[in-house]
Amino acid sequence: MPDEDTEPEPDWEQIQASPEFTLLRRQVRAFVFPMAALFLGWYLLYVLLAAYAHGFMSIRLWGEVTVGLVMGLLQFVSTFLITWLYVRYATRRLDPLAGRIRADAELH
Amino acid sequence: MQLNPWALTGVVLVALATYYLGHRSSRSATTTHDFLVARRTVRSRRNAAAVSGEYLSAASFLGVAGIVLKEGADATWYPIGFTAGYLALMLFVAAPLRRSGAYTLPDFVEARLGSKGLRRFSTAFVMFIGILYMVPQLQGAGLTLASILPVPMWAGAVVVTVLVAVNVMAGGMRAITVVQAFQYWLKLFAISVPTFVLCLVFFSGGGPGGVRSLGAPAPPVFIADTKVSVQTDVTVKVTSETYFHAYGRIDDGPAGGVARWSPLVPHKVSEGTTLEFAAGTPVPVISDAPASNDAWLHPASGNLTDLLQTYSLIFALFLGTMGLPHVLVRFYTNPDGKAARRTTVHVLLLLGLFYLFPTMLGALSRMYVPQLLVTGNADAAVLMLPTAMLPGVPGQILAAVVAAGAFAAFLSSSSGLLVSVSGVVSTDLFPGRVKDFRLGTALVAVCPLALVFVLRTEDISLSIGMTFALAASTFSPLLLLGVWWRKLSWPGALAGMVVGGGLVLTALGISIASEYTGNWAPWYAVQPALITVPAAFLTTYLVSRLTRYGRPELVNDIMLRLHAPDPLGLMQDRAVARFGQAEDKARAARGRHRK
Repeated sequence: MPDEDTEPEPDWEQIQASPEFTLLRRQVRAFVFPMAALFLGWYLLYVLLAAYAHGFMSIRLWGEVTVGLVMGLLQFVSTFLITWLYVRYATRRLDPLAGRIRADAELH
Repeated sequence: MQLNPWALTGVVLVALATYYLGHRSSRSATTTHDFLVARRTVRSRRNAAAVSGEYLSAASFLGVAGIVLKEGADATWYPIGFTAGYLALMLFVAAPLRRSGAYTLPDFVEARLGSKGLRRFSTAFVMFIGILYMVPQLQGAGLTLASILPVPMWAGAVVVTVLVAVNVMAGGMRAITVVQAFQYWLKLFAISVPTFVLCLVFFSGGGPGGVRSLGAPAPPVFIADTKVSVQTDVTVKVTSETYFHAYGRIDDGPAGGVARWSPLVPHKVSEGTTLEFAAGTPVPVISDAPASNDAWLHPASGNLTDLLQTYSLIFALFLGTMGLPHVLVRFYTNPDGKAARRTTVHVLLLLGLFYLFPTMLGALSRMYVPQLLVTGNADAAVLMLPTAMLPGVPGQILAAVVAAGAFAAFLSSSSGLLVSVSGVVSTDLFPGRVKDFRLGTALVAVCPLALVFVLRTEDISLSIGMTFALAASTFSPLLLLGVWWRKLSWPGALAGMVVGGGLVLTALGISIASEYTGNWAPWYAVQPALITVPAAFLTTYLVSRLTRYGRPELVNDIMLRLHAPDPLGLMQDRAVARFGQAEDKARAARGRHRK
């Protein structure tokens, strides 16, 4: 990457106004906020159940393994799942769109 | 405690390896760029190991098992909270922050809001959070060293401080990246191997006293005659009539022989008292921990205060991670946003893998080292478990492995903290040359060490909770609103930090005072995030609304730069703007081309 002072400044205003950029921002938001809300809700539900639904959480599925234990492990699983989905989403949807915007910016 | 030559060897080996790796990689570190962000050329896998390495601090290595021992199986929400913080960091701030081209949090503040005053203010909070977070690391180091050597608690703190300061001064970020990546794998080894071996012992019915079911309704019992020395005043409760020998003061009276406790009332044990329990005696437990194994499997006792305190800590962990200076600074070492993303995926995998082990060790501790529930020293569980379950040399070797891993945890977390805080100090309080970085390191290293001598050792995991609360109430509104809300103004950000930070510090003061005078503090003083975080967000929002003049003029440009994905190449490094020397610039450019 060349130094900033030798490179002509891209036209910020124009990029910002382009429909592609608006779409890009909307797509980022459409993923990030619902996903965060979903995860937090699921996590707080687990803690809530652990505190108040003893009967439910201590149902034994097999041996020493209770519903509570399984839900705890699923919390880890859901964290991985969201991370994986985010990366996939970024590679498939966000990166190509950003590439298009860049190509446009270089034409001008 | 007894001298364990194996453990001593392990700790010395870790210290030597740390010093050697740091020394080797610091030879190539010459510029400010090296010292602050390792030239931004760290590959994503190594970076992920380094991130995890420094994130898995004393709280993870000792505290998670301790909290599982004390609070039970559902305490898995605690390690989950630590990983969830990363999720929030990844989704909301990682990429925009990397694109801002900042080196440090104050850098970001200035880039986003264009206020020098706010920058200085946030510098103060970065220092405060970093130092507050280093204290429990050093305390943990003291605890570890004192459990294997007949030395006072402060000795370990001094050793860690000196070792870390020498490494950081020699090579800054470049040196410690390698060291921290190494320490992650070391920690994983040091916690997984003992877990596998001890689980094997458990399932094959070995260990003194044989197998006891995890869900047995009876409280844990002492599996052998056990002598417990109480180091601080505690209140305990018993589930049935308990006979034992006591020497010292119990229930506000002198004791010097056989004593009896009834299950009806809680009992006080004064500092310096020795209790002797015969094998088979049910274990008295600290009065805030659930008493029987049955309650322990589905605890949280269903009372609202506990739930609120738990939610509060979850809030602090979820939002506080993004405000921790040593975590954020690691994201600036990625070559670009894509690498930052890859790094985060690896980090989450590595963290999840790691946390399974201390959780299992905590469950085993409940059965084999229940005396820790009497002394309240639950954080020592991981360290004491191997010798309690496996008598003789095998147990000592395992204990050595664990001690070495714990020591690695203190070293890597404190070096990460030290680098990030010294980076801020050297560029904000001094001119920002390599020489200043070294001076900053020395100054910063002394502060937490001094605090270790002043403050008393509390549960490691709780003081960490306070640090997270502080980060969540100061930097998290600033970062979240700064990245996602264009109407943020600098007076708004300032007001939010003052309110959030001020409230947390007040709570900290109150809870310390209450610990000295009988634990009267309500839950929102012990873990204030549930109140302080919304207060900080609300203040930031309202004041920003009222102070339209405080928005930066070029807010559109700035926001575009933050949100334009990296292939746009709109990123601007502070290196060029701030460290303008020709030599530095050329090196920086060369460094960036090496992928």
